[in-house]
Amino acid sequence: MPLHPPGDKLVDLPTAVARISDGALLALGGGLSARLPMALVRELVRQGRRDLHLIGSAHSIDVDLLVAASAVRRCEESYVGFEQDLGLAPAYRRAAEAGTIEVAESCCVTVLAQLRATEMGLPFLPVRGVKGSDLRRLHPEYAEVTCPFTGEVLVAVPAVRPDAALIHAPIGDRYGNLHLDQPYVLDERFAPASRQVIATVERVVSTGEVTGAGVTIPAHYVAAVAEAPFGAHPTSCYPDYAYDRPHLAEYVEAAQAGGEELASYLKTYVYGVDEPGYRELLGPDRLAALHSWSRSTEDWKGLFG
Amino acid sequence: MTQFSLDEWFVVLLARTIRPAETVFHGFGSPCAQVAMHVARRTHARDMTLIEGAMYAVNPDPPFIPPTSNDASLKRGAPYSMRFEEFFDAAIRGDVDRMFLSGGQIDGHGNTNVTGMGPSDTGFKVKLGGGGGGCNLAATIRHLSLWSSRHRSGRALVEACDFITDMGHRNPAGDRVDLGYTGGGPQWMVTELGVFSFPGGQARLDFRFPDVSVEEIRAVTGFELRVAGDLRTVVPPSSAELSALRAVDSLGIRRGEFAAAELDRVFDHDPAMGCAC
Repeated sequence: MPLHPPGDKLVDLPTAVARISDGALLALGGGLSARLPMALVRELVRQGRRDLHLIGSAHSIDVDLLVAASAVRRCEESYVGFEQDLGLAPAYRRAAEAGTIEVAESCCVTVLAQLRATEMGLPFLPVRGVKGSDLRRLHPEYAEVTCPFTGEVLVAVPAVRPDAALIHAPIGDRYGNLHLDQPYVLDERFAPASRQVIATVERVVSTGEVTGAGVTIPAHYVAAVAEAPFGAHPTSCYPDYAYDRPHLAEYVEAAQAGGEELASYLKTYVYGVDEPGYRELLGPDRLAALHSWSRSTEDWKGLFG
Repeated sequence: MTQFSLDEWFVVLLARTIRPAETVFHGFGSPCAQVAMHVARRTHARDMTLIEGAMYAVNPDPPFIPPTSNDASLKRGAPYSMRFEEFFDAAIRGDVDRMFLSGGQIDGHGNTNVTGMGPSDTGFKVKLGGGGGGCNLAATIRHLSLWSSRHRSGRALVEACDFITDMGHRNPAGDRVDLGYTGGGPQWMVTELGVFSFPGGQARLDFRFPDVSVEEIRAVTGFELRVAGDLRTVVPPSSAELSALRAVDSLGIRRGEFAAAELDRVFDHDPAMGCAC
């Protein structure tokens, strides 16, 4: 697979998402409450994508929303939930218990090894753990390998090559150079291991501004970039905004209720609006408040109290 | 500072499982462990290397602990944040001394289940969130400090886990030597009722809280309860530990781990008693 040649890769969000087919193996960038590619996720739902196969480390509303919209066939995250704060992921949990999605729960280290194998052009890599864990039962594809030097028997995990990595960044240029703030989570590994990176950015800026801030994901991994302000909302995208805890709580409540309440959330925030409409719905005051973290510790705490 | 609550005592006990100069890590969604690490670093373990959960920040001084594990407040003051793979590589090659782990179920060998309750082959009865990196980290990190804030429910400490996400000392696949695991496994387990150690790889109650009896603990423990011959009550927090805890966890996020009735357990602080510093 060749690298993505230089060029102007700036497109609108629907065009970027149209590059993803039903049944695709998708790596979702960010993690937990930070920098989840939510504008891309919402657009996947609007375009009615089905049978997606998701892989990643620790995730929350991105996976849950896709499952709630019946877009997912198989999940291979190491965690899906809202931590101690807001609890289990309602739609994911319901689908896993009903058997309407395949759950092949994984481990951060295992997923990392599988991506690195792809990066190195190898068919597999060994991991030291997994033995003694029932996670192995969820992965009949795992095997064992004997080290030719020490005789040690290790679990071998196959290379994974996602069809696309969906990554949201605070800034990027029109050619696809992206700057991220830490935590990068698996994004730096997803980019070279995937066939293409589909990116959204808070702001499209000059190449000089991205190189000044530092390029985390270079353009040669990126196939398309779209501008999507608040594209990680309701998760955080520092330094621009903290996560929107009340909105996450609103989602979790609707998803727990299921049925009409969940349908109403999806209609209001996803199906019934495009991304500019989504931002309008949230309102400029609410969105501006999420930036108040930078004013003082008290303001920052106030967002989470 | 004349009184303290159960959640504060619990976090202080977790903090004391950390030894000076250790390199210590907590997983995400673990408020009590997260606060405990900062308490240790501000009291008896000032020279520890603290790796902050999902931020992988090294020795940060967060202005407060937020309710999510990867908020930018958690890397404030850190001179460096590891990359994701940098942390996991360090843990797998044996450079991390201690990790905190919990589970919806924990058995007497310290195996933990964070994946799901009920039979997994037909779809879980209750699907839990999942184990993050635990199933590899538990193999190689030197010591594990386990905790459960739901011991009293009778569902947390079980005879056998429905699903083993992270390996303890021994399970049907073998023991740590059989599996070539270089980490030592669970060393301590703190619950809201008492503190266990793992002599011979099996949980043993070494300390109980003063307001619970061994009989009460036995009644809600699914595995056969072994009790230390010199069972003691847990050592109260010192003033230094309490003030460190209250400063670092001003939002009180640790409290979210406990049932409401546990938060009503309040104890009197005797300034002349039990300074651990």
